[in-house]
Amino acid sequence: MTQTSSPTDESQLAVQLSEVWKTFPGVVANAGVELSVRPRTIHALLGENGAGKSTLMNILAGVYRPDRGELKLHGRAHQFRNPADALSAGIGMVHQEFRLIPSFSVAENVVLGSAPSVIKTRQIEAEVAAMADKFGLRVDPAQPLWQLSMGERQKVEILKVLWRDAQVLILDEPTTVLTPGEVDELGEILRRMADDGRCIIFISHKLHEVSEICDEATVLRQGKTVASSLDMATTDSTELARLMVGASPTSPNRPAAATLGVPLLELKELSARGDRGIDAFSDISFQIHSGEIVGIAGVAGNGQRELADVIAGLRPSTRGSLIMNDADMTTASPRQRFLSGLGYIPEDRLGVGLAPRLSITDNAILRVYRQQRRGPFIVAAKALSYCKDIVERFRVRAGDLGGPIAALSGGNLQRLLVGRELDSQPSVVLAAQPTRGLDVQGVKAIQDLLLERRNAGAAVLMISEDLDELLTLTDRLLVMEGGTIRGEFNPRTTSRQEVGLAMLADTKAVSRP
Amino acid sequence: MKRPRLNLREAPLPGGQPLAFAIGLTIALFVGTLLLLGAGHDPVRIYSRMFEASLGGPDAWAVTLNRAVPLGLAGLAVAIAGSMGLWNIGAEGQIMAGAIAASWVARIGGDWPGLVLIVVMLLAALGGGGLLAVGPAIARARLGVNEIITTLMLNEVAIRLVQWLIHGPWKDPGAHNFPLAPMLPDQARLPTLFSRAHYGLLIAAAVILISSLAVRYTAWGYELRIAGSSEATARYSGISLSRKILTVLVISGGIAGLAGGVELTGTADRLTESISNGFGFAGIIVAALALMRPSGVAVVALLFGAVQIGGQSIQTLGVSSSVSTILQAFVLFGAIGAGVFSRYRILLEGEAPAVPEKVNQ
Ligand SMILES: Nc1ncnc2c1ncn2[C@@H]1O[C@H](COP(=O)(O)OP(=O)(O)OP(=O)(O)O)[C@@H](O)[C@H]1O
Ligand SMILES: [Mg+2]
Repeated sequence: MTQTSSPTDESQLAVQLSEVWKTFPGVVANAGVELSVRPRTIHALLGENGAGKSTLMNILAGVYRPDRGELKLHGRAHQFRNPADALSAGIGMVHQEFRLIPSFSVAENVVLGSAPSVIKTRQIEAEVAAMADKFGLRVDPAQPLWQLSMGERQKVEILKVLWRDAQVLILDEPTTVLTPGEVDELGEILRRMADDGRCIIFISHKLHEVSEICDEATVLRQGKTVASSLDMATTDSTELARLMVGASPTSPNRPAAATLGVPLLELKELSARGDRGIDAFSDISFQIHSGEIVGIAGVAGNGQRELADVIAGLRPSTRGSLIMNDADMTTASPRQRFLSGLGYIPEDRLGVGLAPRLSITDNAILRVYRQQRRGPFIVAAKALSYCKDIVERFRVRAGDLGGPIAALSGGNLQRLLVGRELDSQPSVVLAAQPTRGLDVQGVKAIQDLLLERRNAGAAVLMISEDLDELLTLTDRLLVMEGGTIRGEFNPRTTSRQEVGLAMLADTKAVSRP
Repeated sequence: MKRPRLNLREAPLPGGQPLAFAIGLTIALFVGTLLLLGAGHDPVRIYSRMFEASLGGPDAWAVTLNRAVPLGLAGLAVAIAGSMGLWNIGAEGQIMAGAIAASWVARIGGDWPGLVLIVVMLLAALGGGGLLAVGPAIARARLGVNEIITTLMLNEVAIRLVQWLIHGPWKDPGAHNFPLAPMLPDQARLPTLFSRAHYGLLIAAAVILISSLAVRYTAWGYELRIAGSSEATARYSGISLSRKILTVLVISGGIAGLAGGVELTGTADRLTESISNGFGFAGIIVAALALMRPSGVAVVALLFGAVQIGGQSIQTLGVSSSVSTILQAFVLFGAIGAGVFSRYRILLEGEAPAVPEKVNQ
């Protein structure tokens, strides 16, 4: 690669990581990574699932210690022993999973851990509000956190690191939980922070976001830097994609429609309550036919999660009925639904889809272990070869298959989960955010798998917050807002704007419980 | 935040377990020495007596092994429930229920051949213990009632039942008005393997082995581990949680009951109020030290047994029972605790962990 920007004087670099190595049992996550970030810039860190991005950032933020390597801030060498060290050197990280306290107010969450022992609520709220204003982070400091949407929670996380005066902000896949509008807003906020003298490291798998938001990009592949500090003004997304995967992935084409068959999934005036006992959605009716992918678009928190739970049998419905493959499944158990052909990719991978304390193999066989029995035993060799097969076919990057599943990177967890669910050839597929957190190739692989199921005659229901994905992939698009279906669109003839408007039918979206 | 924290090692220390065991034991014995000196005893004499009584020769081993049997079974009972995240605090009562059931069989089958009688007694013990757990199991599985409280309360019921039986219907008329149950018939006694060590050892070893294999390698055990790891995942995959809770708690109770049966036919002459002797509560400690893994229970129970027998023996040397109990606790936690900790690193001054404490994407 020769696309390295003109050499800069070391002391002018806000962050410089060189020759960073980090090994986990069975996996080399970082194998001599180089990263240089100039002040006042937004720097993208790109790479496939498992390329080592999160690991590198955790090293920079003092969460992990590198096996080897050097870390310099403005030309001065540092060694962090913990996140607090990193923070006092000006480095703050917003992790993908938020660490906020639901019952506290926004302001309390922001100052938590760094506040004087006597909290003067009014004064702190005023200070937090002033800081939020300065960067255009629109949040109400007095509002309790549980009332906030995911996008708003993210702003609180950002405020939290700003409050601790971080000069280098790390955002690990910040946009996976945001709506398109919120992404644009985040871009503006980040620009303002960069102009204010800070620098931002931004991880994302969505290249169009990266092109819009970032100034420079560094690309990792299999733990190594393959291109550093590319100038985004002169690099296009195809080139980035090529660098990330080593070959350019074909852009997703709108798939030809398959022949429609009989309805396989039918909801009749279905209603259910949410966790707080209030109706999460009501009177939802639609059919999905064999050979059809139907998408549900909507801002998070408008009842989609509960709808998925009800279809999967994990939450009772209060009214209406659910028909699957001609059988009434309104009150059927999750297992009965699975047996009658339902494959379910839940949104909450580690909480619902996988058992975090068990091994990769144990998790892989969750749907098939009953077939791997000999007498009362599960045949270990069968289980292992099944797991190997899933890992290879769905390109899960994993070390020791007997090791804990929780050690896999986010994208690899998703690959394993999707692979496992689709392997049983379900006739009805329910996929909630199936490509969230996946890299370009991973997204394509999973979209292809869903299409393959559709073409094989399955009915696919896909719930996603990624409108572009829904528009290219689905045959029919339903928009959910405030717990009801606000409209049905033909994605072949509809524009993004039309759908977007329906998603925001009431100007203020209902916040997520 | 400069507090020491524990962090799981990436790989176990090579030779870590035995080494940690030795170090822990040394520290415990050292602290114990200070304790004994403080209480005015000669540590060398005390320690050598402890060793003599528990591990110094076949007779001592027999006593220790006989003690390890009920501890191991009770520990297994707690650990099986624990591997699904359930707490069976009622092993004490279930042991008594098992002993009651076995005694009842001995009363009606006094003229059966020995082998048949013993087998039926042990099966009855299994059933008796299981029966006592049925209530809490149903309450937990169907209504979500916390099993800790219900199993604990039934301990009280079981002890009252034993008292009522030996003061009333089962009182031995030949015991001159003493509240004693009659002696067991001779053919209801478990034969011995060597010295006084009885066949309960083989029974306990077999049950622990089978249970460990079942949890690790069977579909049933797989479902148990899934449910123990995440309830939502278990429901998602169609494992019937309520049925699992029901069977696991009843099996747990049954194993504790078996401990009562083995104790009755192995070491006791008759049903007494003290037949469970605290084994049910000690079983909770055994299971916890074995990290709720059925496979770890045997070793812990053996050590626990040795320490108990050794600790009791020194009371004849004038060591007060409280000093003896503290000493037992030292040795036990020093030896086993160190083994557990050897899987962790202690991070001082907030060092960065090698393995994250929380998974992030
Ligand atoms: N704590 C850990 N223990 C063991 N292996 C780990 C651990 N953390 C990460 N890994 C492994 O290191 C590799 C890099 O992981 P990392 O999380 O840095 O990837 P990533 O680039 O952030 O991927 P993604 O886009 O999927 O989030 C992966 O193969 C992962 O399985
Ligand atoms: Mg990551």
